[in-house]
Amino acid sequence: MLPKGTAVTSPTLSERAVPALAGRLRSAPAAWAFGVGAVAIGVYFLLPPDAQSVFFVAIGFAAVVAIYTGAAINLPRGERLPWQLFAFGLLGQVAGDAIFAVYEISLNREPPNPSVADIFYLAGYPLIALGILQILRRLGGQTSRAAILDTVVIFSGVALVQWVFFIDPYNHMLFGTEFARVVAMAYPAMDILLLVAFAQLLVGPGGRTRSYGLLLSSLGLWVIADEIYGLNVDTYKGGSWIDALWLGSYVAWAAAALEPSMSRIAEPDRRRLPRLTTTRLALLATASLTAPATLLIERASHHRVHAFVLAFGGAVLAALVLLRLAGLVRAVERAGRAERVARWEAEQAQQLLAYQNEQLVELDRLKDEFVSSISHELRTPLTSIAGYVELLLEEEDDPEKTGHLAIVERNASRLLALVTDLLFAARLQYGRLELERSPVDVGTIVRQCVDSARPRALASSVQLELHATDVPAVMGEPAKLAQLLDNLVSNAIKFTPSDGRVSVRLATVEDVVRIEVSDTGIGIPDAERGKLFDRFFRAQSALERQIQGTGLGLYISKAIVDAHGGRIGVESEPGRGTTFVVELPVAG
Amino acid sequence: MTPRQLVLCADDDDDILSLVALRLERAGFEVVTATDGDAAVELARARRPALAVLDVMMPKRTGYEVLAAIRGDEALTGMKVVMLSARVQEGDVKLGMDSGADAYLAKPFKAQDLVTKIEELLGL
Repeated sequence: MLPKGTAVTSPTLSERAVPALAGRLRSAPAAWAFGVGAVAIGVYFLLPPDAQSVFFVAIGFAAVVAIYTGAAINLPRGERLPWQLFAFGLLGQVAGDAIFAVYEISLNREPPNPSVADIFYLAGYPLIALGILQILRRLGGQTSRAAILDTVVIFSGVALVQWVFFIDPYNHMLFGTEFARVVAMAYPAMDILLLVAFAQLLVGPGGRTRSYGLLLSSLGLWVIADEIYGLNVDTYKGGSWIDALWLGSYVAWAAAALEPSMSRIAEPDRRRLPRLTTTRLALLATASLTAPATLLIERASHHRVHAFVLAFGGAVLAALVLLRLAGLVRAVERAGRAERVARWEAEQAQQLLAYQNEQLVELDRLKDEFVSSISHELRTPLTSIAGYVELLLEEEDDPEKTGHLAIVERNASRLLALVTDLLFAARLQYGRLELERSPVDVGTIVRQCVDSARPRALASSVQLELHATDVPAVMGEPAKLAQLLDNLVSNAIKFTPSDGRVSVRLATVEDVVRIEVSDTGIGIPDAERGKLFDRFFRAQSALERQIQGTGLGLYISKAIVDAHGGRIGVESEPGRGTTFVVELPVAG
Repeated sequence: MTPRQLVLCADDDDDILSLVALRLERAGFEVVTATDGDAAVELARARRPALAVLDVMMPKRTGYEVLAAIRGDEALTGMKVVMLSARVQEGDVKLGMDSGADAYLAKPFKAQDLVTKIEELLGL
């Protein structure tokens, strides 16, 4: 669907047709070859015999040129060899046909048997077979034991059939010379090469390009024509329908070479590497059945049964197929073993993972336990210190002594606060802060915090103000929020000199509750603002003025704010004051 | 004169034990002490105090185990138990309360907090 508002205009007929035609010309030379070829074959059958012979040669020659040209256009120099071999192989046929044509037209008879023509004919077959071999080699997958065995099986089956039906008959025919007989037998023998090549192409890992299919067809047409010819040698005459097959082969071959996809013909279809595909299996089955089938055919057509050849051939084929299947069984067993090993390894890995996981969980637990344990160990003696000092303070009247005792008590408190903060910070290290949430009225907490801070503010001569409005509830933990506020307020008082002011504001801003703690204190320089919330960070000014602190307060405060889903920020001007802003999301 | 209520205090730290005992005696309670879990249970059964103040980390039996023994003993039904511990994580407090303690106080403690809580639990 086009987006709304797009104008759609259709191009005129001429605007569309011409580019399309040119495109088709460029992209389908094979189609053109077919078209021209079909016309030529049609014309062939309409011509008188002499003209036919010449036309046959002409078509053949045109195919050779097309193949050579196709290779030159579509392939780089180093890859043209297979097609050049095809071209020369077919040229051999053309040459042979040309010699026949010359004899028939000018001398009005057939050439002698055998003649030079036979050399050209026969030479062509090995060249074509070599060309196919080159392509198969590039496809790969032909050197495994299984692939070789398959080739031998097919060869045996083909050789058996060729011998019985095509080659051996020549043994029982009359020939002028024994040499002539041998030459005659050479043709079906050569066809064995082509048949095996055809079978290999059929089961090989290629097959995805159109060119591959065309090549397969042309080879197929050729061998079929040869075999039919072989069965009808006596009755064959020029102009017979069998010629259509040879001509068709020429045309398909030319098309295969001109097709642009021919450059990719040696690209294997990885899925079809020598596994027992259906085609391969069918071929093997056919090969192994050639002996009994041949026996039946011979019996049925009342020919002499080649008992010995068939028995021997059958045995060989059976043995080969058994070998092939044995290889297959072994491969399956190997695969099974490999799978068992892989599965065992996977189980081991899984067990190891589970064990390591347990270890990690245990380690975590131990760390936590360690921290708790340390905290406990530190608090226990502190209990006695604080407890007995408290006792003494109640009993002591001497002001000097009570003064000293108060110092001890104060420092014991500091120590306790430090231990508490350290425990808190350590637990933050090991995991996030877990809150027990409930609706909390921040107003109450802020008021309590300010109230408990008043004595400290008074002692430091710092004015403490609260400006609070009613705010909606926040989901959180009251104790932690109190800790947060105590921290911010005591910081503000700590860092504000005498006669300064600390203001606490509470308000609602859109959907957050906002708390501001401002002071007129020493401030924080820009450079330190980024590190303010880091663990154990102490501002330079604080260290210089020896203001006590652990550097954990803001780290813990930020953790509390984060756990509540809020944000904490700071604005400051050195010498003028600082404001900490905390925003907490409203509940619900 | 009203009879003084008996309170059992158990802690393996002698200093803390003395401190607690002293504070409670000054608050008007009779105090018996134990320095390990087994002694605590024996004393509880023998003297039937109204309330026990138990440390958690003790030898022989922990405060929780003592608590379990007390709660499991029919004869000791109604006895109040306060856990007094330096283990202060939320998990520890929850465990204590879930195990049947009536209160859980953290060490270090303010004397007044402890006395007030005990008086509250005993309905004084």
